[in-house]
Amino acid sequence: MNLWQYTLRRLLYIIPTILGVAGIIFVIFNLVAPDPALIMLGKHASVAQIAELRSELGLDKPYWAQYLDIVKSAFTFDFGRSWTTKQEILSMIKRGAIPSLTLSVPAFFLSTVISISISLFVSFYRGKWLDKSAVFICVLLMSVTSLAYILFGQWLFAYKLGWFEISGYESGFPDFVPYIILPVIIWIVLSIGPDVRFYRTVMLDEIYQDYVRTAKAKGLSEKTILFKHVLKNAMIPIVTFVVIQIPFLILGALLLENFFSIPGLGGITLNGIYNSDFPVIKAMTILTAMAYIIFSVITDVIYTLVDPRVRLK
Amino acid sequence: MAHTSVQSVDEISLEKIPSRKSKSLWDQAMENIFRDKMAMTSLIIVGIYALISILSALGVIAADWAVEVGPSYAPPSGEFLFGTDIFGRSVFTKMIKGTEVAMSVGLVAACISVVIGVTLGSIAGYFGGKVDEFIVWFYTCFQSIPTIMLLVALSFVMGRGLVSMYVALGLTSWVNLCRLIRGEVMRHKDREYVQAATALGGGHARKLIKHIFPNVSHLVIISFSLMFQTAIKTEVILSYLGLGVQGRPSWGTMIDDAKLELARGVWWQLGAATLAMMIVVLSINLLGDALRDALDPKLKGK
Amino acid sequence: MKKFTSLLVALVLISGLIGCTKKNKDTGRTLNLSIPQEVKGMDPIYANDRYSSNEVGRVYEGLLEYHYLKRPYTLVPNLADAMPVVSEDGLTYTFKIRKGVMFHDDASFPNGKGRELVAEDFVYSIKRLADPKLQGLGWWLLDGKVKGLNEWRKKYSELPKVDYTEVVEGLKTLDKYTLQFKLNKPFPQFLYSLAMPFTFAVAKEVVAKYGQEFLNHPVGTGPFILPVFQQTKKITYVKSPNFRKKLYPTEASEEFKTAGFLEDAGKQLPLVDKVVVNVIIESQPRWLNFLKGKIDFIGIPKDNFDSAVTPSRTLSEEYISKGISLLVNPSLDITYTAFNHDLKLFQNVDLRRAMALAYDVVKSNELFYNNTALPAQSVVPPGIAGNIKNYVSSFRGPNVDEAKKLLAKAGYPEGKGLPIITYDCPSGTVSRQIGEYVKKQMAQIGVRIKVINNPWPELQKKITKRQVMLYGIAWGADYPDAENFLQLLYGPNKSPGANGSGYNNPEFNKLFKTSSIMQDSPERTALYEKMNRIAADQAPWIYGVHRQNFTLRHSFLKNYMSTDFETGQAQYLNIDSKLKVKVLEKL
Repeated sequence: MNLWQYTLRRLLYIIPTILGVAGIIFVIFNLVAPDPALIMLGKHASVAQIAELRSELGLDKPYWAQYLDIVKSAFTFDFGRSWTTKQEILSMIKRGAIPSLTLSVPAFFLSTVISISISLFVSFYRGKWLDKSAVFICVLLMSVTSLAYILFGQWLFAYKLGWFEISGYESGFPDFVPYIILPVIIWIVLSIGPDVRFYRTVMLDEIYQDYVRTAKAKGLSEKTILFKHVLKNAMIPIVTFVVIQIPFLILGALLLENFFSIPGLGGITLNGIYNSDFPVIKAMTILTAMAYIIFSVITDVIYTLVDPRVRLK
Repeated sequence: MAHTSVQSVDEISLEKIPSRKSKSLWDQAMENIFRDKMAMTSLIIVGIYALISILSALGVIAADWAVEVGPSYAPPSGEFLFGTDIFGRSVFTKMIKGTEVAMSVGLVAACISVVIGVTLGSIAGYFGGKVDEFIVWFYTCFQSIPTIMLLVALSFVMGRGLVSMYVALGLTSWVNLCRLIRGEVMRHKDREYVQAATALGGGHARKLIKHIFPNVSHLVIISFSLMFQTAIKTEVILSYLGLGVQGRPSWGTMIDDAKLELARGVWWQLGAATLAMMIVVLSINLLGDALRDALDPKLKGK
Repeated sequence: MKKFTSLLVALVLISGLIGCTKKNKDTGRTLNLSIPQEVKGMDPIYANDRYSSNEVGRVYEGLLEYHYLKRPYTLVPNLADAMPVVSEDGLTYTFKIRKGVMFHDDASFPNGKGRELVAEDFVYSIKRLADPKLQGLGWWLLDGKVKGLNEWRKKYSELPKVDYTEVVEGLKTLDKYTLQFKLNKPFPQFLYSLAMPFTFAVAKEVVAKYGQEFLNHPVGTGPFILPVFQQTKKITYVKSPNFRKKLYPTEASEEFKTAGFLEDAGKQLPLVDKVVVNVIIESQPRWLNFLKGKIDFIGIPKDNFDSAVTPSRTLSEEYISKGISLLVNPSLDITYTAFNHDLKLFQNVDLRRAMALAYDVVKSNELFYNNTALPAQSVVPPGIAGNIKNYVSSFRGPNVDEAKKLLAKAGYPEGKGLPIITYDCPSGTVSRQIGEYVKKQMAQIGVRIKVINNPWPELQKKITKRQVMLYGIAWGADYPDAENFLQLLYGPNKSPGANGSGYNNPEFNKLFKTSSIMQDSPERTALYEKMNRIAADQAPWIYGVHRQNFTLRHSFLKNYMSTDFETGQAQYLNIDSKLKVKVLEKL
């Protein structure tokens, strides 16, 4: 089987995956979700009004039709309107995507670069106290709940010290920049722990490979080995790790967006959760699931492309 | 390897662990851990936490968490270690009681996901073919949905409370282990000793349990520690979202209280819960690392 | 790799500098407000929560409004030229519409110029509220009240298209500026409904042009304009350039006269050039932004029990020195724990009374409302007719001994024989704490409670489906009339109506029915009081408190008071921009 056939096969595999994801979403959101009529009509709703609304929302359709609607929406992105705000969900998503990305892209990029640099550095000193304490700090950083970082960071750096904006957002570059600095920093602190730990493991795995021993035996310097060979080979798992995280970036960071009033998709999702706004939760679930499915195909293909060790079956 | 897309932190390193044939490696691993001071300390701390939660579950300690011991919002002092909350209850006692919730959430959720992961993983790996394809398809679909969304949806479905928290966390964290086990079982099932068992007329179940499980159990132990601490951390986030434990203190609800209190200068509830959580998560993490190092011969003797 | 990192570090530093230079740029006459939840669009017929109706009220206006500076709340004409002429039988209301009122400019009008408001616009807007296809959330307000409107609604709910040209008898124009309502039966609260955003005037050209997107294109006659509404964290309104002549009131109740509320008397409204509404969902950033002077006042919203944010009942020196002041105003509301009267268990009046007596309202007031709320004796809050001054219910706790006796009398000595009773409440930190408190209180007499938190819609669903035993909830006034509270206990209003507890007392029902068609009079007040006493005596709920609004405001915000009917308030507020510059330096 050559690469093209593999890619095609992998693409075809998307179809059953989407059908399955739609199935899970259907079971959770259509079979067991609460009645929207009460959410939408408020404290003075009458029985007749509820019935009218149900038929308008298509909730009296047979189950198979409701399931098909979900599958369809994965391709058309027609998610209907929010139950609470009555806004078109697609336009909410379009509006929220940019602010989310202005936060998540720089934060993700910076945290990846920083983590890889640190992990290269500590694997150079592997086994020494520097490595050990770096690992310890990473684990320590991971052990504190993200809420504590956010609550405390906002209070101390934005309010007490006044270094950053407390919350808010302006659209357009560079107006948004002052508003995202603190959330970006918190994001980096949050992800540096797990990231460094992961990258370090990947690099150590490479370092203990036979070719490194050979290279050493040939008299190559530690630095050359690390940068030329180890980093190059470690890139495969690193790229895989990075690419597969990308779909989740569109969700931004639920809590960060809410605390810093960034009008992104994370905030939209969280609001959906607070208000039991099922079309919104459903739309965000479908959206991220689709992105995940597409990106995992990309990852798989990259993986096969760069790593000849992976057998094509 | 058709569906190797997502490789989580631990998987990568785990997949490289070569298979083992003797029990002596376990003994050696234990020996390693006992020699490692940090790992020993962590083990002891986790033990203390476990003890505290058992005692608290039995009502020996912290049964009086709901009792008013002082004024509302008394700051930490000699009398009130960690201060008091809005009702004048001791934050320290609440923290102890919260340990019970956290440890039980960690334990039960990790158990649930281990059971699901190991069962599905070994069935897929062992039987292969259509069964395997179906299970792989199922977890691929499952994994495509962000965990937080699944958690939220499950808490809506099952209502709020400790039990639904166990189930929701357990149901959402089995995929990685399942995939790992599947891979390992596949690797083992064609080996000579399993073949030999077949020749001797061993049934499927017998082969799986007697011959294959012992050889993949290290994966379970390491994944368990990982799930354990993830569950503890997730409990906090769920409580913050209003989907958490009810009617009893948990670290999550304590931190949730704190978001209104911090602006008043009441930091001790946030502090106590964060500290309690930090220590145990840190210990479990360090212990998990030590276990992995001990079980991975390549990382040994670095 | 290293070069790259340093480049990025430099970038971050530069952007940090940009951030610093841009700070405190806006000190002009801009009102900076904050709200704790998303706005549900800008369509008056869907504005059923406090925050959405406030936003709608900046752009749209109605026939009547509450006088800004008069208490008790008094209705005055707004888009109406004068108060209506009411026929002798109380069934016909005739309004003259103010002439020369213009809609905001919008592309949906010819040449993009806003046209004049006419009586027909109200007929259209109110029909929109009744439109069965639109599911307006304020329909309950006029349901069964206006002659022919229910029939119109019913007819078109079965037909594919709604015909607005069909004349409804009770909702007609007599000429371009004259509007006439005919009611089915006397409805003394009718005029209040004309001051609520549900009945505010929209232009049919705008609705026709934008269709479903109408909720994002608010075009009204009000003091502020918002060209396009976007569901984001910030809504910016600007002063309407062609707002009609509307002046700041020159008369005021004593309390406002002495407090300097008349400094701007006679000035053209609105007083500020811009209104910026920040949606800040988390309480910590909202609070920190206020302390930094980025928000002019911070309400402690009664619906989400946020009161814990206030540092203490009196302000500390630190805040006073910054010019922050605290406003405490009673609000027309009540918090309560309702029994589900469908359950046989709670038809036992002694059990209800025992539980009511076990509840320590004084202590809960201290814990959750910083001792600023008023323990409720019955259902009607102070400040409106029907509330009985200094009345103390005999079943108002805490009185644990009496509660235990009553519990024994109810057949459950020491709580023996009682099942575990569930208590449902909204999720949220303070609601959860209140739930824990109820549990603790009931434990004193041996009643076992299990607290269940629910997201708000989930709780409503449970109540409507009668899946609750006890539940904690609150009610805020729609208009200043005791009827709005008493109806919560009126049998025929049973769930899914407003009477979620399902309380059904023939005597009470009869009194309510009689009073509901009476005009405001001493006789009606007497009936209200009688019902209020029954409601105290029978303990259909465990009464909580009547909350007070407390609000912190900065010294540079002028003319602000907290009120139960905030719609349109922004036009009266003013910012002392010189003072603001000075204050901001100190913050």
